[in-house]
This record gives sequence, structure tokens and C-alpha cells, in this order.
Amino acid sequence: MSENQVDLNEIDRSIHDTKNDSDYSNRAKIGLTPKIIREISEEKNEPEWMTNFRLKALDIYQNKPIPDWGADISDLDMDEILTYIKGEGEIQNDWEEVPEDIKNTFDSLGIPEAEKESLAGVGAQYDSEVVYQNLKEDLVEQGVIFMDMERALKEHEDIVKEHFMQLVPPNDHKFAALHGAVWSGGSFVYVPKNVEVDIPLQSYFRLNAAGAGQFEHTLIILEEGSKAHFIEGCSAPKYSVNNLHAGTVELFVKEGAELRYSTIENWSKNMYNLNTKRAIVEKDGLIEWVSGSFGSKVSMLYPMSILNGKGARAEYTGITFAAEDQYLDTGAKVVHAAPHTSSNINARSIAKGGGHAFYRGLLKVTDSADHSKSTVSCESLMLDNESKSDTVPVMDLNTDDIDIGHEAKVGRISEEAIFYLMSRGISEEEAKAMIVRGFVEPIAKELPLEYAVELNNLINMELEGSIG
Amino acid sequence: MYRKEYLEKKSMFDGLIVENVIDGNVAESKLNEIIEKFDAIEDNKELKNILESKKQDFFKNGVFIKAPAGKKYETPFELNYDKNYDNNELNDNNLIVAEANSELNLVVDYKNNDKEVVHKGLNRILVKENAVINFIKVQRLNDKSQNYDANLSIVENSGKINWISIELGAKETTASNFNLLESERSQADIKTIYFGDGERKLDLNYTVQHFGRHSKSDIESRGVLKDKAQKVFRGNLHFKKEAKEADGSEKEHVLLMDKTVESDSIPALFTEEDNVQGEHAVSAGQIDENSLFYLMSRGFTEVEAKKLLVEAAFNPIFDQIPLNDLKGSVMNEVKRKLG
Repeated sequence: MSENQVDLNEIDRSIHDTKNDSDYSNRAKIGLTPKIIREISEEKNEPEWMTNFRLKALDIYQNKPIPDWGADISDLDMDEILTYIKGEGEIQNDWEEVPEDIKNTFDSLGIPEAEKESLAGVGAQYDSEVVYQNLKEDLVEQGVIFMDMERALKEHEDIVKEHFMQLVPPNDHKFAALHGAVWSGGSFVYVPKNVEVDIPLQSYFRLNAAGAGQFEHTLIILEEGSKAHFIEGCSAPKYSVNNLHAGTVELFVKEGAELRYSTIENWSKNMYNLNTKRAIVEKDGLIEWVSGSFGSKVSMLYPMSILNGKGARAEYTGITFAAEDQYLDTGAKVVHAAPHTSSNINARSIAKGGGHAFYRGLLKVTDSADHSKSTVSCESLMLDNESKSDTVPVMDLNTDDIDIGHEAKVGRISEEAIFYLMSRGISEEEAKAMIVRGFVEPIAKELPLEYAVELNNLINMELEGSIG
Repeated sequence: MYRKEYLEKKSMFDGLIVENVIDGNVAESKLNEIIEKFDAIEDNKELKNILESKKQDFFKNGVFIKAPAGKKYETPFELNYDKNYDNNELNDNNLIVAEANSELNLVVDYKNNDKEVVHKGLNRILVKENAVINFIKVQRLNDKSQNYDANLSIVENSGKINWISIELGAKETTASNFNLLESERSQADIKTIYFGDGERKLDLNYTVQHFGRHSKSDIESRGVLKDKAQKVFRGNLHFKKEAKEADGSEKEHVLLMDKTVESDSIPALFTEEDNVQGEHAVSAGQIDENSLFYLMSRGFTEVEAKKLLVEAAFNPIFDQIPLNDLKGSVMNEVKRKLG
């Protein structure tokens, strides 16, 4: 344990930012042009409407300003990222080149050997087909489609065309437009009427395409009365020299369907995570978001639920852990657009070592959403006074017959609680860790077992540096 | 500019310094201390936001009031602006200083006749060591008028500012309230009531910045929205680094009485110090059905029952208005608005 502790404490992921400088310093900077987009699309053998869609999105991208609120993203080198999109940048291909600390982290989290290399973005692509072989047979019989997005575009073009970027249109914001222009890889899930998928579907498919980890598109469609649980990513730090993640997630939950969407994200700490996630829920449907944000340098992530049918529900359970040099700006957005809809938001954040945790949420109740109910609860824990923690929930109510409640609290671990635990023979470090684990318990219990264990390990890792 | 009665009641305000502010200047330059104090914090981002829109066209006239050290005045001092109308503009620029250990109650009632009026106001208050200022502001301009005001305070050691702000009138209101709790055990207590009916628009902004250790703040807002009223409530609690053991809370409760209202709430917490307690709570909805049902089962009509429940929510704050005439007239106004 103690040896392990030393290694973990010395993780300095910042070295990835500079490691390969000499490799691309002499490469001419290029911008993104329609020609490049056409080439990307051609290479992927895409239908014409998709090529045109990409070009339209590119046009929007070039004309939209960078958002002037939230995180400072001026460090983001767009030209360099765009170089990679064109495929001119060689993705690091040698496991030996992966820094020791990343390897050690994989070990301590118990990531299987086969996954490590693909997580590090090197070596052979992880063959997800094998893992899902048995699962697939079972699902295929019931008509469930689960494949990577690029294959779906070819095999299920009609469904993709009908839904692709309808919830998150390219003119939503600059990075949605960029995504529309250069998206690559991602998962496609289609669950037919009344089918219940009882095994969580996991997004290993993302690793199949070059650059897929950066601009992947996830499209999930649940037909009436169906159920599914989708898990995005995993808790290992994902390493990439390309430091922008602008993925998009679109979830369509039809009448009476229930979807749970879980994410634990632990990007390496050079990453700008500017993901856009949105769900539309029809009559009596349910969307459940479970979201853990641990990694990245900057995150701006606000999963949005549009409750579009009578009796639709949304639940959001989120934990954000901002450590040194991190600015994690996360929160939930809910639009109540139909009567008798309800939402329940439970967000917790921890800030330590100079990290900045920001909850930014929106609750909008339109004039057609009578008898809607919503509760929003935010709690922030500060582990030292180097860190910052902010809460800005916005409530916009446009009708009267509703019931809205919001609460937020900020504070630190109570000294009494630590003192009590210490009087019971528990060390100060362990006492603090216990309290933090208790604080995230509501989130942890929503996760599948292996993820809950990993979450625990992550918290231990993060705390070992700061406490005691 | 200040009420004539002041002169009559002069014995009750023994030692109180009251001067007219003319063209932004007070007769005695040594009294400009408060202006300097506010100028010194002008680069404060939140304050800047409040002042930027106002300062250029800000009016020149108002009152300077200073409560000398150790003096406690029980009788409320009434500010009156009936003479400040100028081309349908009502401008006031007030500077108020409470010296150490003093205590002063100030009451201002903004009202007008049928004429359309634009009110622009700026109150700057400096509360020194262990002093207390109670500032009661009632705004009931007619429905054609516009109301823009900023109320700012700096509170020193163990000082306390208590605001009671009652927004009943004007077609459009933008009211900013900014408090800087500068040093140890300084306190700000803000109670606000608003009533939005007709096509009234309210933009209410309350900010407390905790710099001092053990500083304490409490923002409590209660409001009613009916017809096509629109309201934005912003409550900002800042805990600056080293504001150890600071304690701040903000609560907003809004009653929504019609489908056509629009209610926005943005209660924000900004924390740079771990050793603090901060919380905010917002609730919005209709009148509690159980209470309504109970009252109706006792023979009240629905309208009467609703009136009673709104009054019950407002009265604890109205009770703190120190002038009985004003209190009664404000209560009647709310009753009338509830129809």
C-alpha cells in the first residue's frame, strides 16, 4: 500500500503536454478547410448528405465565436488539434513510450492488460467484438442494434439520418459545430419496442477509429417501453496527445422507455473536455444520468434532459472532484416542456489542492408544464482553502401550478466528525477519507459494482496526496 | 431635501449631521471620507457591474448623514425626495456614515402622483465599528414609472447593516444591493418583499461579499407574482479567502399565482475559503393547498384565504417597519393588490 501510495502521489500528467513537442513543431500549421472535410468524409465512404452536413457544420464552426463565459480555453491550440483530425499527426504507437505513471495508475485500478494499451491510445485496437460476442447473439435475437457509429451510418442509414444531430444541432455552440464537421466513431444503440436490455452496454467501440476518442458521436434510441443502461468511458485516465474532447451524446427516450446513462470520466489532466449531452424524453419515459467527473484540465459539461411528454421524468446524480490545476464546470439542465413532468437533481462536488469545482445548472419550466415538480440539491465539500467552489443554479419558471425546490450548501469536513473518528482509533487521514467516501456514497451506489470499486480507488488515490 | 419634520424633531436627532449633497459634493470636504472608501473598492468586479450602468448619468443631489460615535437614535429618520423631481426624474444620491457604536434608523418611501417618473437612486452607506444602520426602503411609484437604484454598504468590525426593501410599484424596477463585509464579525441582514402584478418587471440583485472573519449574512426574499409579472432574482454570496468562520445564507420563496407569470431565480455561491458555511434555498410554487383547504373549511372564501396566507408570509417583515403610518399604508396596498 505504501509503495503504491508514493507512486500515485507523484503522478504528474502534465508531462504529456510537452513530451512530443519536437515532433510537430516543424509541421506547418493548417486550418480546417472544406477540402479536408471532403477528404475525411470520402475516406469514410459516407453518403452525400453526411458530407454536406459536415460542410454545413464547418461553416457554422468558422463563423461562431468561442464562448466567453465559463472556463478559460485560450490555451487550446485549435490548429494543432485540426492537424490531427486530418490524420497527419501520427498517434503515438508504442506502449513503451507511455509514461510509467499512467501504466502504474492502470495497474492500481486493476485494468486488464488488453485494455491498457487501447486506453493509452497506443498499440493494437482493442477488439470489442470479442467481449460482446455472447451478449450480441442474445441481443440480436431481440432486435437490439449495438455497433459503432460509422458502421451504423452505413447499415442503418435511415435511422441515423432521422436522428443525427437533431437534438444537438451544429449551431448550438462552436464545439457542437466542430463536432458536426469532424465527428468520428462513437456508439449507436437501438432498442426495439418493449425490449429490456439487462446487461449494461459499454462504449468500448469508441476505440476503434482513429481520433474517435476526441469527437465521438453517441446516438441511442429507445423505442416505446424498452429499457437499457449505457455506460460511457471508464475510470482509467485516458491519455492522448490530442487534448480536446468535443463529443456529442444524443438520447431519444420514447414513450414509457427507461434509459440510464452512466459516465465516469477521468481524462488525463491536459484535456479540455467540452462534451455536449442531451436527452429527449417522451410520455412517461425516464432518463437517469449518473455522472462522475474526475479528470481533465477543463471540463464544461451540462447533460440536458428535455421532458417532452406528459409524465416524463429525469434524474441526475453527479459527482465532481476537482484537484490541483483543474477547473471542472459541470451541472444538469432540465427543460420541463410537458405537464406532470418531474426532475430530481443531486449534485455533489469536492475541491482540493487548488482545484475549482463549479456547479452551473438550469431548470426551465415552460408554460405548458403545469403540475411539474423539481428538486435540485447541490452540496460542495472544500478540503482546503486553496480551492474554490461555486454554485450557480438558474431557475426559469413560466407557469404557476408547479412545485420547485432548490437547496445548496458549501462547507468543509466538520472537525467534530474527524475528532470523533480519531477518538475511535482511526487515523486522521483515514477519517477524512471515510467522510469523503460517505459524501459520494449516493453516487457510488448508483454505479455498477466494478465502477463503484473503481470510484472508491480513485478517491483514495486523489486523497492520498492531500491529506495526512 | 430632507423632511421638514426633521427640524421639528431636532431634539431627537441631537448631534446628527445632515447636509445636502450638491453636485456630488458635500459642503465640508472632510465628510468625503465615505466617497473615498467606495472609490477605493471600485475595481471590485461585482460592484463595478452595478455602478457601470449608473455612474455616468448619476445625479448629483441628495443627503449626507452622519451619526456621531456612540449616539443611538431611536426615532427613525425619514428621507423625503418630493422636491427632487426634475423633468419627471427623481434622483437621489445619499451618503450615510455611522460612526463607531452609533445606531440609526432610516426610512425612505418612494412614491409619486399620477405622473410618469424615472427614479434613479444611489445609497452608499458606511457602517463603522460596532455601529448599526437599519435602512427601510419602500418603493411604490405608480405603474407608469421606472425605478433604478443601487444600495451599497461597507461594514467594518462588528458593524451591522439591516436592509428592509419593499418593492411594490413601478412598471420596471432594477434594484441592486451590494454589501461588503470588510472586517471581523461584520453583518448584513437583507429582507426583501416584492409584489409583481399587472405587467410589472422586477430585476432584483443582492450581493454579499464576505471578507471578514466570522462575518455573517442573511438574505431572505419573499415575493408574489401574478398576472403577467416578470421577475429575476439574483442572490450572490461570495466567501473570499481568509473569511474564516463566515456564515452566509440566502433564501428565496416566490408564490406563483397565475400561469402567465415569469420567475427567474439565480442564487449563486462563490467560495474561496473552506472554513465557511454557506447555503441557499429557493422554493417556488402555489399557495400550499392544505393551508388553503383548511381556511376554506373554516368559512373563508378562496380569495380571502389566499389573502390571509400571503399576508401571513409578508407580515413578519412588515412588522419591522418602524413607522406605524407607513406600515399600515403598505399593508393596505398589498391587500388591495391581492384584490
